[in-house]
Amino acid sequence: MITVYSNWFEWSSIWLSPFIGAGILALLWLFNVRNEKVYNIISVLSIFISSIVSSVALYDVLIKHEIIVAETSTYWVSLLKIKVGTYLDGLGAIMSTIVSWLSFLIAVYSVEYMKKDWGVQRYFFFISFFVGSMLLLVTASNMILMFIGWEGTGLASYALIGHWYTDEEEYWVGVPGRKALGLPMYFEPSTSGIRAILFTRVGDVGFLVGFTSLFFIANSFSIPTIASTAGTWMGLLASKGMLTAFLLIFTLGALAKSAQFPFHEWLVTAMTGPTPVSALIHAATMVKAGVYYILRFAPIFFIGAIAASSLAVSQTQEYFYIVAGLAVTTVFIMATMAIVSNEFKLILAYSTAEYLGYMILAVAAGGLFVVTHNYTAMADAELAGIAMLLAHAIFKAALFLIAGYALHATDSRFIDYMGNFSKYMKVTTISMWLAGLSLAAIPPFSGFFAKELVLENVAKTGYLGIYIFAVLAVFFTAAYISRLIIRVFHSPPYQESKEHHLHEAPILMLAPYTILALAALVLGILWFYTGKGLEIGIFETLGIQASPAFNVVVDASTIIITTLIVIDFAIIAYLYIRRYNFMAMLDRSSVLKSLHTFLYDRWFINSALYYLFLYSFMGLSWLMGVINTAIDLFYHYVIPKAGELASKGLRAFFRGRTDYLIALYIIMASIVILIVFFGW
Amino acid sequence: MLLSFPALWLTILLPILLGVLAWLLGKYESAVKALIYLSGFVLLVPLALVLSYYASGEISKSIVDPIYINLVSYRIGTFYLGIDGLSAPIVIGISIVTAFVSFYGIKYMTKRIEEMKEENEKVPNLGVYAFLYNIFAVTMLGIAYSSNLIEFYIFLEGTLISSFLLIAYYGYGDRKKISLLYFVWTHIGAVLLLTGILYFGYLVGSFNYMTLLNGSLTPIGSEEAILGGATTIIALLMLIGLFVKMAVFGVHMWLPYAHAEAPTPISALLSPNLIGLAGYAIARFVFQFFPTTMLTWRPYLLTLAFVTIIYGGLVALRQKDFKRFLAYSSISQMGYMLLGLATLTSYGIIGAMLIYLSHAIGKAILFMSAGVFITELKNLRDITKMGGLAKKYPLTAALALFGFMNLTGLPPSVGMWSEILVVMGLVQSYMLRNLASLIGFTALLIVSLTLTGAYSFIMMRRIFYGHSRSKIEGSEKIDVFKLSILGVAIFGFVFFLVINPLISSLNTSVITFIISSLGR
Repeated sequence: MITVYSNWFEWSSIWLSPFIGAGILALLWLFNVRNEKVYNIISVLSIFISSIVSSVALYDVLIKHEIIVAETSTYWVSLLKIKVGTYLDGLGAIMSTIVSWLSFLIAVYSVEYMKKDWGVQRYFFFISFFVGSMLLLVTASNMILMFIGWEGTGLASYALIGHWYTDEEEYWVGVPGRKALGLPMYFEPSTSGIRAILFTRVGDVGFLVGFTSLFFIANSFSIPTIASTAGTWMGLLASKGMLTAFLLIFTLGALAKSAQFPFHEWLVTAMTGPTPVSALIHAATMVKAGVYYILRFAPIFFIGAIAASSLAVSQTQEYFYIVAGLAVTTVFIMATMAIVSNEFKLILAYSTAEYLGYMILAVAAGGLFVVTHNYTAMADAELAGIAMLLAHAIFKAALFLIAGYALHATDSRFIDYMGNFSKYMKVTTISMWLAGLSLAAIPPFSGFFAKELVLENVAKTGYLGIYIFAVLAVFFTAAYISRLIIRVFHSPPYQESKEHHLHEAPILMLAPYTILALAALVLGILWFYTGKGLEIGIFETLGIQASPAFNVVVDASTIIITTLIVIDFAIIAYLYIRRYNFMAMLDRSSVLKSLHTFLYDRWFINSALYYLFLYSFMGLSWLMGVINTAIDLFYHYVIPKAGELASKGLRAFFRGRTDYLIALYIIMASIVILIVFFGW
Repeated sequence: MLLSFPALWLTILLPILLGVLAWLLGKYESAVKALIYLSGFVLLVPLALVLSYYASGEISKSIVDPIYINLVSYRIGTFYLGIDGLSAPIVIGISIVTAFVSFYGIKYMTKRIEEMKEENEKVPNLGVYAFLYNIFAVTMLGIAYSSNLIEFYIFLEGTLISSFLLIAYYGYGDRKKISLLYFVWTHIGAVLLLTGILYFGYLVGSFNYMTLLNGSLTPIGSEEAILGGATTIIALLMLIGLFVKMAVFGVHMWLPYAHAEAPTPISALLSPNLIGLAGYAIARFVFQFFPTTMLTWRPYLLTLAFVTIIYGGLVALRQKDFKRFLAYSSISQMGYMLLGLATLTSYGIIGAMLIYLSHAIGKAILFMSAGVFITELKNLRDITKMGGLAKKYPLTAALALFGFMNLTGLPPSVGMWSEILVVMGLVQSYMLRNLASLIGFTALLIVSLTLTGAYSFIMMRRIFYGHSRSKIEGSEKIDVFKLSILGVAIFGFVFFLVINPLISSLNTSVITFIISSLGR
């Protein structure tokens, strides 16, 4: 590995290009240019430039074994010692390549999808801004730049989730009118936008506290410096018993952004945005930011703890244990929610949160090996995490883009109104199958390798409870995707709706998801090369000390789990093709019915969070309103009234009598004299 | 460096002169408008001065006007006008906001005066407005330029009288009563401050807080030794007086009335510029004179800051009037400013001064957006009647969003830097002491910052998104009125990119006279 220093703009064009694109679009908008084509071209082109530059960077990193540092020669803010620039190690290069190419395909798809939308100019502005922020986040060389990218993705997702801010019912998420524990379970676009930015903001504050603290204990915002001084600052915190809490606060932003329990709620209602936005949020940007963050810092925590002290090691292990616990909880509950949902995009959203859980679980599992100083295990886990990220990004982007077309074709978000798509759209059906099988983790798709790696790493930790739930979720996963594919593509709709002219998607929409679906297969078939690339990349990542293994160990558990997945998939598919009436089953059994409600209403977590936080704050706000009125009354009623009464009383007493006034004068004068005499 | 000609005096006197002309030419409306434009550009001169100061590279020194008033023989001291690192962001904030708001005010006030005439109210003409407005603007600049407590106080009274008259002449609602209420309460604050100032000057023999040394204004430093037992009472008087002006929790009662009912261009000066000046004064002389006292009071100040932030935010959420909502949001923002100050660390104080700037920009944008609807949609300020305005007013909506981003600290707005630096101040002072303080302060910050985000984005939704809740006719026309909002917004973005000179010069000045006297 050699570190190569270059000019900042040479590589920073990766994130600068979409930002410049967004800036141009903003200016054009101000100068009243409304031509859709202009916006399409500038936005797509600016992202395309990023894709090319990132690919070159990936080549340099993987093939030439370079680590690229491209920073300005002078400080951007000298007090904070930060420069503007890019840091591309294995992880950064892989991430920026994935992000930029996926975003490019999604932007191309959007051109067709958003045609003649009334907010298309705003849409492309925010898409460019979104991609730029995400690329800045993954290539940032210091924490401030990373934070800027981080907050930028939050802002862009807010704007895009609430893109159709006029809140027509067709853009809602959830069944209108449905309530759980007395609280509505349907959300308008503008509400979903607020939910997204506020849920993640809770975590962002943790991130902010974390990195500003590092400035004082690691003396730098620079990520490589934070890594190289990890031993010092972790030791310092560990000696005060603060390390576990600090690491949790530091990564709180990642957990919130990656929609880990209990922050997952924002992600599932984020479906109100245009579907390409969902694809972007779920596959390329936003939620992957949190995973990237964990991937970036987990190895640093790992080496730091070992370098620091045994105290730091045990506290770091505790931290990884908590994260693994949260991740596996997310994995399990989201998988169970997905099997009952009847909204196409919502099923995919649950699935995303579940897969994010897998990614974070994998890394946390590696981190648990900190006690045995097992550097290889950490590297393996890191590879499992990035492999899962790659596989998921590809198949989920494909699935969402297909969902976009499906929703578009039927004018409904509910799968009850969809069906028999395979008769009308062959290529789309094939793409759906490819992406779906990859999601179900069936060999030889890339999803299979990724999931195997994750499960292997979890198994190695020896925490049986975590492993069991992680495996259980795999079967739910196969079940919900099988259900989705069969119901939408191979069986007639459950509810007839108005006549649609179903046909194959236009080429600009079809091509992106077909490419992605094929990629899901090809990357799996060529796993030797894919894995090899990831291996090199991970080995060249900050904090990784050993070369990871990318080969899947085929043992008894692999064979059993895979066989069961296939059987599971087949049975569900069979039942749905035979139109087995699950709903009738629910009507017969009250236990099943309430279980269904429990799952459908997302374990009542949304309502619980609302009651716990929203309502307590509303109560507090009410109380403050009362106090506010009281203060107002005190100053503007009680005091003036008291003054008025005192004035009246005094006037009534003195009535202008000179003797009283002289007496008062003498008394007051003597008091003053006494004070001066004794006081001074 | 000593300026070669009295540029700072000119920035104060020229707008007043133009104002007097506007007053005299009050009957000729086009002449008055031309004069308002002209004074708007003159008000941008301080910004140019600060920028040239940054460009000169001598940020450890200050720029001083060559003309000063020497009253040493009366035991008052010297009245210099100067700008240094600490006051530079303040001057920038005042200059930008007052300049663009004066362009903005032309259409707004013309409309307002017509409207009042239709209601058969006696109302002074636009010339009087221009005169009072310019006095208000330059006296605020004067506060930032001052080097002496008496000088400071004179300018402070200038702002009070001019803004009082502006509210009384052109305000909304029960404007006579509200202007009086504003005058009385803030004057009580001013008098408390004055009492402290006079007692201080009596004991010290000079009212200077800055003195000229080697061609640069240099702070006097701690006066605790000379004041002895009187330190506590003087510090308390000054602090409480300034707290009233700053409208922190408990003494904020005047602010929602005054800021909501003032004519919008005046709200856009009161809220972004005036109240924050009290925070600047705390950093400028209270901390300087009484460092160890402040260190002992730090826990109380921090508590007050958090209470103000959370209280202001929660009450803001309940407001149904756009301008009144903004007024409560200002209280909350002053809480952040106090939080930065109360950390008594260099980062925190830098953050507080940057909050002055980011709040000035953000809140000015928001008040000006509120004014757009007042002018163009028949006095529409009731949030319950808004909704869906983004579709009719896309530029205003975009600008308002940027205003809110300044308040919540989202990039690419300068607000991000103030947020980061205030948090850094808190981290440096307390957070890393032990587990409890780490968790406790993190929780408080989460509540505070999320609350700010919550009221911002919830109000954004109520006003601009969803369906419109009343019949609204009208659509956006791009004119000077709205471009002046854009003008303010652009600076919010520019200073996001070019923050280094501000932070560096703040750092040198803060380090020299606050932190050194605290011995850290």
